[in-house]
Amino acid sequence: MQIEDDEILQGFIEESLEHLADIETDLLAIEKAGANIDENLVNKVFRAAHSIKGGAGFMGLTVIQELSHAMENILGMIRSRKLVPNPEIVNILLQGSDKLEAMINNIHSSNDEDITEHLIPLNAIAEGTALQPTAPKPAPEPVIEEAAPEEPAVAEDVIQEPAPQAAEVQDIPEEQAAPTPIVPKPEPIVPLTSPTPTSTAAATTSQPPQVKADTSLRVHVSLLDSLMTLAGELVLSRNQLLQTIGSNDLRNAEAVGQRIDLITSELQEAIMLTRMQPIGNVFSKFPRVVRDLSKQLNKTIELTIVGNEVELDKTIIESINDPLTHLVRNSVDHGVEMPADRKRVGKPEKGIIILKAYHEAGQVVIQISDDGKGLDGEALAASAVSKGLISTEQAQIMSDKEKINLIFLPGFSMAKKVTDVSGRGVGMDVVKTNLDKLGGQVEIVSEVGHGTTISIKLPLTLAIIPCQIITTSGERYAIPQVNLEELLRIPANQVQKRVEKVGNAEVVRLRGNLLPLIRLADVIEAERTYWDSAEAAHKPDKRGSIADRRGKTSPLFHANNEPQEEENITNRNKRDLSDRRYTASSALNIVVVSTSSMKYGLVVDRLQDSEEIVIKPLGRHLQQCKGYAGATIMGDGRIALILDVSNLAQMAHLTSIDGTDRANEVAMAAAELMRAQKDKQALLIFRSSEQEQFAVPLNQVERIEKIKRSEIEDMGGKRVMQYRGGSLALISVDNISAVHPLADQDDLLVIVFNISSKPVGLLAIGPIDAVEITTEIDGVTLKQPGIMGSIIIDGHTTMLVDVFEIVQTLYPDWFAEKPVFEIEKNSGVVPTILIAEDSNFFRNQVKGYMTESGYKVIEGADGAIAWDLLQKHADEISLVVTDIEMPNMNGFELTETIRKNPKYNKIPIIALTTLAADEDIAMGKAVGIDEYHIKLDKEKLMTCVHDYMKRLF
Amino acid sequence: MNETKSSTNILVELATFYIGDALCGMDILKIQEINKLMDMTKVPQAPSYVIGILNLRGQIVTIIDLGKKLGLGATDATLSSRNIIVNSPGEHVGLLVTRLSDVISADTGKIERAPANMGGIQGEFFSGVYKTEDRLIGILDINKVLRLEDQGH
Repeated sequence: MQIEDDEILQGFIEESLEHLADIETDLLAIEKAGANIDENLVNKVFRAAHSIKGGAGFMGLTVIQELSHAMENILGMIRSRKLVPNPEIVNILLQGSDKLEAMINNIHSSNDEDITEHLIPLNAIAEGTALQPTAPKPAPEPVIEEAAPEEPAVAEDVIQEPAPQAAEVQDIPEEQAAPTPIVPKPEPIVPLTSPTPTSTAAATTSQPPQVKADTSLRVHVSLLDSLMTLAGELVLSRNQLLQTIGSNDLRNAEAVGQRIDLITSELQEAIMLTRMQPIGNVFSKFPRVVRDLSKQLNKTIELTIVGNEVELDKTIIESINDPLTHLVRNSVDHGVEMPADRKRVGKPEKGIIILKAYHEAGQVVIQISDDGKGLDGEALAASAVSKGLISTEQAQIMSDKEKINLIFLPGFSMAKKVTDVSGRGVGMDVVKTNLDKLGGQVEIVSEVGHGTTISIKLPLTLAIIPCQIITTSGERYAIPQVNLEELLRIPANQVQKRVEKVGNAEVVRLRGNLLPLIRLADVIEAERTYWDSAEAAHKPDKRGSIADRRGKTSPLFHANNEPQEEENITNRNKRDLSDRRYTASSALNIVVVSTSSMKYGLVVDRLQDSEEIVIKPLGRHLQQCKGYAGATIMGDGRIALILDVSNLAQMAHLTSIDGTDRANEVAMAAAELMRAQKDKQALLIFRSSEQEQFAVPLNQVERIEKIKRSEIEDMGGKRVMQYRGGSLALISVDNISAVHPLADQDDLLVIVFNISSKPVGLLAIGPIDAVEITTEIDGVTLKQPGIMGSIIIDGHTTMLVDVFEIVQTLYPDWFAEKPVFEIEKNSGVVPTILIAEDSNFFRNQVKGYMTESGYKVIEGADGAIAWDLLQKHADEISLVVTDIEMPNMNGFELTETIRKNPKYNKIPIIALTTLAADEDIAMGKAVGIDEYHIKLDKEKLMTCVHDYMKRLF
Repeated sequence: MNETKSSTNILVELATFYIGDALCGMDILKIQEINKLMDMTKVPQAPSYVIGILNLRGQIVTIIDLGKKLGLGATDATLSSRNIIVNSPGEHVGLLVTRLSDVISADTGKIERAPANMGGIQGEFFSGVYKTEDRLIGILDINKVLRLEDQGH
């Protein structure tokens, strides 16, 4: 077989071997864990296999691709817990990875290898058929042994040959710009084995530890020459400097200083350039990827590449490869539609993918755009919900952008079937994790039908970064500018107004939003200090909170005492002008920082300059300090620590109090949704005549039966029908209510209720439907005998039928033997019941039941009001009936408050709810609710009330 | 000091120094340099035995208070205190000592095991004891001193 580009091939070999080296140990760890699957680990191995498969796929290494695909299948099943890894499975996987390694080392003949002995057991596992324990073991061994002797010779060929060739390829664009002769073949590799840092400009020492770096680097000789020249100049300047110092010539020293400044910056730039590589090295493999993939999928796609010459730090180039491949493959596979589909919507059959790199605001932006079908946020959300990644409620309150960003969730895949190309839900989360590691950001803009553009913003280099310098507790710290949103200074006289305390958390109002505040000194546990500008010194700060309010409570809790506060301030100002809180030194300096997940304010003592700093790693004794990303050396030779703002947020437990405004918003919306859901009333809608719609609470309905009109028997002025061996009393709404008479039709419905332990059938006609409503019920407008009130359901005014009342009117004797509470007999005191309920309708209903039975009722529109009433009428109230979902103070809280007070803790509490979920009942029991009843179930509620009253009197 | 030489044993040069009142020594070949730079940057939340970090010609050096590390109490930075910079894998680490003493040649054969009652924190860091005419020198096992324990002292 022929492989077109040796440099790419070599890249693939190196990368794959790296992956394989990790696979082995990881697989062993997976084996050890057994059924206790570590998802991260499985994911890692899975991605490794996936990467190898992907790379092999576009290089035409079909056998490697096939084997890694089979392995990936198994790993996918382990990941989704369809398969428990046992030693046998892991063994087969290990043998597979051994085979892969052998084939990759022997890449040119890999397509001729026979891998059936690996595929058979792998596919057997995948299909869940029983393993043949003896078969796989002996077979693969000879193959590996066979491959081994050939290995060194071929591998040498592969690795040595491409180097000079690649150097030429790489040099071509630069040759046009600089006429310097190309480096002779043996020399192009200039080993830069991590140099011992002798100057602060030695940026290479501070590579981020997570990126594996090559030990050698190709540098153009002209660049090396210019480095040499600069070094020469530096030596000259040093001599000048020494001379100047010797002669004590201050005026000249300034000039020399400037010169050294200039040379150092040039030197820094030149050294950084040696690490810069054109992104074309990565881009160059994509034409092939797109071509092969589109052919495989029967699509026609044109790939345009712009900005090959844009240069990026070597470590970034190395790490951007995988994410970019995923994105391009995704665009081809999921983005661009099939030619026929494109034609149908009036697009040219040929799809377009543009890969573009350019500089923007000191960063490099890589854009992948296609003119395909775009991402459908709704579909993504629906898919995420069905996969259980988010809840329906979450999906409802997400913005379009957030919905699109769902594709970055691990385990998310839109592909309907698992294909060889993509669509296993690994792609996008790999992209995100890899880019996060590099300090890059991904943004997706998509319009359904018009295509998707994915922008990746990357820093130019990781070694030198611009930072904001701040001071706290007398030490300087650097905050990377990438994380910096803005600097905020709150003048002393506004601190009290703008900084507020919510629980233990301090927040500041910033343009209408609440920004959580963290005091740097507190998080890193340094001494709290403040900067006294008058004395130019740091002084210890002893205030408990930023806006020390001297015991006054926050206006957040008592919103109506604003004027009083103003007065207090003026009073205090008069009283104590020397109080530090009213001098400039108590102004608050806040660095507003953002991380990928949140935004918060870091309170510091002083803000200083913005500087370019060189990152230096901290010693291993300090690795446990998570708040620092490293250290840097400042102009005066002292060290400043670089802050890791996302770890700081974690250390301050910001994640748990929901740092961002958006998080607050979402939380509130979710809470609102939950509330609404809990307060829902389930109703059964039916009609009695064509013209009017009625409803009854669904939880009172026992059954619904279809009957013929002929089955109804008219006996003694009452309608009955035979039902389960007895007779069922039949009623209809028009019996006692002034509504249209029951429709005159043959097919009728009987809604069966159980009233006073007797079944009663309500005659009705369809259509019937069960709905959940959250709207307030109107208990006034349409109220009449047999009708409790009305609501609007789907545009129809619907009357709520009071079955109890109808039955009571028609069959009063049913209730004759009912134990009615006889007040006078016992004590002569009329017992009083406190009702807490926010809905007017329900409150009036319940009140009606109570007064009808002869009780006195005190009503409160929410828990807080009820509590006040209870305290006021403590002697009279002998029972509390409360709703659960209420504003200000809910039923649980009310119960808790009552139970805490020894004076009231004996009062029986009955809770009314629309939805008696088990956990609610448990929760109610825990706080001290005695009974739970369903709203509008008058009979049970009243029986219960009577029982309690009997016990009390 | 004691210059008696034994014919059979190898001589090592020991740099000796005081940690508080205790005289300690270490193999001089392990030392890169000794300085008296005291302009350290504090690292909040660092283990208590780390007093700060220092810029040593462009390299960040972690300074460890030997007194604290050995459980002998904090070392005060005075005019006589010094940083002994030693090589640790991948970095340099500075050890703050109260003051320096002499460099002595010690006969390895005469280095005795640390006494059994020298237990606890200290015992673990001493590889032996060397007896001169008038003094006892505790010989530090620098590798053990620099090793990270799971829980910092």
